[in-house]
Amino acid sequence: MDFAYTPEQEALRRDVRQFIKDNVTPDVLQEADTESSTAQDQPRGMSPKAAALYKKIYDRGWLGITYPKEYGGQGKDRLTQYIVEEEFTRVGINISLGGSGAPAIMAAGTETQKQFYIPGLIKREITFALGFTEPHAGADLANLRCSAVKDGDYYVINGQKMYTSAAHYATHIYLMARTDRNAPKHEGISIFLFSMDTPGVTVRPLWTIQNNPTAPIGTTYGHARTNETFFDNVRIHKSCLLGEENKGWRVGSMGLNLDRVGASRYLISVRRDEDIVNFVKNNKFDGFDPGKNPAIRDRIAEMWIEAQVCRLMTMRSMSIVERGGKFTYEGSAEKVWAPEHGVRVTESITQMLGPYATLLRTSPHAVMDGVFGHNVMGSFQSGINHGSVQVMRDQVARRGLELPSSRRSAKKVEAK
Amino acid sequence: MANCPVCRAPVDEEAAKAQTGMTSGGAKEVDPKMGTRQFHDGTWYYLCSLDCRNKFTRDPDGYLKQ
Repeated sequence: MDFAYTPEQEALRRDVRQFIKDNVTPDVLQEADTESSTAQDQPRGMSPKAAALYKKIYDRGWLGITYPKEYGGQGKDRLTQYIVEEEFTRVGINISLGGSGAPAIMAAGTETQKQFYIPGLIKREITFALGFTEPHAGADLANLRCSAVKDGDYYVINGQKMYTSAAHYATHIYLMARTDRNAPKHEGISIFLFSMDTPGVTVRPLWTIQNNPTAPIGTTYGHARTNETFFDNVRIHKSCLLGEENKGWRVGSMGLNLDRVGASRYLISVRRDEDIVNFVKNNKFDGFDPGKNPAIRDRIAEMWIEAQVCRLMTMRSMSIVERGGKFTYEGSAEKVWAPEHGVRVTESITQMLGPYATLLRTSPHAVMDGVFGHNVMGSFQSGINHGSVQVMRDQVARRGLELPSSRRSAKKVEAK
Repeated sequence: MANCPVCRAPVDEEAAKAQTGMTSGGAKEVDPKMGTRQFHDGTWYYLCSLDCRNKFTRDPDGYLKQ
């Protein structure tokens, strides 16, 4: 077993780094990372300089690398995607297709849906808002109540979604709704894809503590603005259904699992490890060299070991997906380990730097432009969104270890 | 004008739904200061704030009986 990169892969990495050096200048980077805070702003990554950068990246064949050529992709392997994505993510440029919609469409979509959505997502002409979470549902997505009622060739949607983060700049929504209220809660769910300008779709801004003040590029996982989205008698054609009616839970779960595989997710949790190592190497305080302190060296070495576990889990997941193997709980395991590693790193950095670790970039005493302070807010969030670590552990127990689900056990107890 | 089912404060349903802008994707945008709402058993209930909505979602039937 060889974990080393091939000479071709190393050459690709050098090529990407050179491209970044030549094209990702600070002004371009600032624009590409600028958050869209109002509906009237340029959508994120769509300002003129950012759009020109993404066009260059697209022309080099580095967007949609793993997607088939007939849908506008490159038809290449996941390790190629990983190398390119890792380099761009390190400088704060997101080249992923933005969520679980694309992999779900590839797995369950009709030919028409694939032909329409996949090239549009790769060229960044289409952006999805993820319409899964609901205010009353808690961490269990299957508690959703947003309903889609069949009416001839149409579905009529009523209900609401919470934390639809891209809703103020998305062109389309990837929505999970209940199509059979009498079925068990994980059944009777369907997924729909439709345009945000469909009559009856309303967006209400929600403001969070994230990215306020604006964080250094690549620091936070989330953004200051997210949204609630309401659906009042939204009428959509049956061709908007993704996959089979009432089988949306499997499609949605699979899409989320696949979205967890890749360099972006891995790097979110390990980038501060690299920052603290650089900080310790490059700073001395009145003769005190933190790199020589046994306690600091011990913690940093431990963080590095944990980060290698994150990397290996990512590689294993990619390998399973690449071989077309059954991929069920591996992404969930990664989604537990990586965010919790990020939290442990945050705690360790706070112990090393004391109160300085919590200062945001607006403070004159902020360390490394406040990356650690902003990370305090960002790292905890990543254990909640895209499936909380508690739900992920449950999936590992059920799917990986084949333990009975707590819900079914409870029913059996009642039957006795 | 409705009353918030949690704290009984008046909530202007029309203002909560009124369009104040449009997203770049073409969806209607509303003013978040005008309250929010919750879809429960086929009916929209209007609430004065997210705090009240959080309380409401924990026990909607209890608040509606009051």
